[in-house]
Amino acid sequence: MLTVNHLRKRLPNGKLLLRDINFSVGEGEFVAILGLSGTGKTILLRCINRLTTPDGGEIVLTDNGNPLNITQSDAGEIRELRRRIGMIFQSFNLVKRRSVIENVLIGKLGRIGMVRSLMCRFADDDIEMAHRALNRVGISDLADRRAGTLSGGEQQRVAIARSIMQDPCLLLADEPVANLDPTTAEVVMEHLRSISVGNGISTLAVLHQPELARRYATRVLGVRDGVIVYDGDARLSDDDFEVIYGCNDV
Amino acid sequence: MGVTMFKNRYIIPVLFLLFVIWSIIGTGFSIRDLIAGVPNLSNFIGCMFPPAWDTFVPLISPAIETIQMAFLGTVFAVVLSVPVALLAANNITPSKPVKLLARGVIAFTRTVPDIVFALIFVSAVGLGPVPGILALAIHSVGMLGKLYAEAIEEVDPGPVEAVEAVGAGKLQAVYYAVIPQVTPSFVASTLYRFDINVRSSIVLGLVGAGGIGFELIMAMRLFRYHEMLTILIIIFIVVMLSEWASNSIRAHVIGEEVLK
Ligand SMILES: Nc1ncnc2c1ncn2[C@@H]1O[C@H](COP(=O)(O)OP(=O)(O)O)[C@@H](O)[C@H]1O
Ligand SMILES: [Mg+2]
Repeated sequence: MLTVNHLRKRLPNGKLLLRDINFSVGEGEFVAILGLSGTGKTILLRCINRLTTPDGGEIVLTDNGNPLNITQSDAGEIRELRRRIGMIFQSFNLVKRRSVIENVLIGKLGRIGMVRSLMCRFADDDIEMAHRALNRVGISDLADRRAGTLSGGEQQRVAIARSIMQDPCLLLADEPVANLDPTTAEVVMEHLRSISVGNGISTLAVLHQPELARRYATRVLGVRDGVIVYDGDARLSDDDFEVIYGCNDV
Repeated sequence: MGVTMFKNRYIIPVLFLLFVIWSIIGTGFSIRDLIAGVPNLSNFIGCMFPPAWDTFVPLISPAIETIQMAFLGTVFAVVLSVPVALLAANNITPSKPVKLLARGVIAFTRTVPDIVFALIFVSAVGLGPVPGILALAIHSVGMLGKLYAEAIEEVDPGPVEAVEAVGAGKLQAVYYAVIPQVTPSFVASTLYRFDINVRSSIVLGLVGAGGIGFELIMAMRLFRYHEMLTILIIIFIVVMLSEWASNSIRAHVIGEEVLK
């Protein structure tokens, strides 16, 4: 489904942040990425949908049996690739002054011609699909509200609905619940799991707590010092925890 | 240490004073001439009274022309400024050379006063409101382009990135994520510029670019002092009206912001 081989990424200041990242994600898996703050988890996700250009290695996304080499894509191919990859951000990233339904419809922009989308015309089918996506995350009554007036949990659910519109094969989530209170976080994580299982979407989520990974992920990847130091069961032993987070300088 | 502090403290006021004296000598400004001029001035003002009320109604149509000039000039300025601002903004520009070019356009149109543009266009297309409209449109790009570009650079990049992450193109990202974020500040800057353009279009009339300003210079040349006073009254009304209109639009837009 998604295979990452020997991925390398250097920071503008010359520091080699990701040195040699190797892992793969299977069909319908829910994989959590854990690691200390600043280890490059966000950058890793951004390499996968090419919001960042990697410096080396290979990323291959296989959708319906068609392998697509992410690292070698040109501008047109990058857009094609992004259409198939949903992304959920820690800060939701909705257009706050637009209505909820318009924000959900943004998920369709990758598939709509430039001219038609600039004339603001979405097809009736798309509008209907957007309402279904909102219904799916339990906020169909908020369709006409201005996105900026919603609570954090509601905004993240709109972002999930926006991703549903893409009908993606892979969903990337960067600390999707780090800005939410524990109860709201539960609701959002449940929705993520439900669309992953229900739509067979492979999910790669950076999580800020091992506890969340244990409850929702089928597998955990631990990132440290530019490599994957742990790839295995979502139930971390004390030793695994030490490998990912521990202070090994002493 | 003590000496440097003394220098730092007094160097600016001293320079300022020298500059004032230098300018007074250079321009031949004298209080005596000013006082000597007072009787002339009051005599002149006395000649203007009473206003020629019979010319009031015929002057309404040039006054409306002035507002129309300012309005069209501002509309064209917006149409020109939005693309220039997008090309000039660090976060949206397609490349550095394009950015520098766009910034060059903004700097040039701001530096050259609108009256200079008006003189050039009057020579090119002849007397009337059209050269005035062109001059206002082009000179306003200098201010609107700069203010718009600053607003664009301040947008939250998150939503823009989110739109690009679904596979949308750059133009779509601008339309769906940048424009909504900058609309309130664009509206405020544009209304502010409209107020300036109403006053400018009066001045442009003095060099032949139509409207009430053109009537003012004609009345002056023909020594019709009573008509001049009527024109000044009309100018006062026009400026007050336009400021009242843009203030109420601004209040309406901002009120909407607060409500929603
Ligand atoms: N655009 C950038 N320019 C320079 N440094 C960056 C940039 N983006 C991220 N970094 C640096 O890269 C490191 C890893 O960032 P990030 O991927 O956000 O870490 P994580 O998500 O694991 O906390 C941080 O030290 C951060 O300062
Ligand atoms: Mg991060």
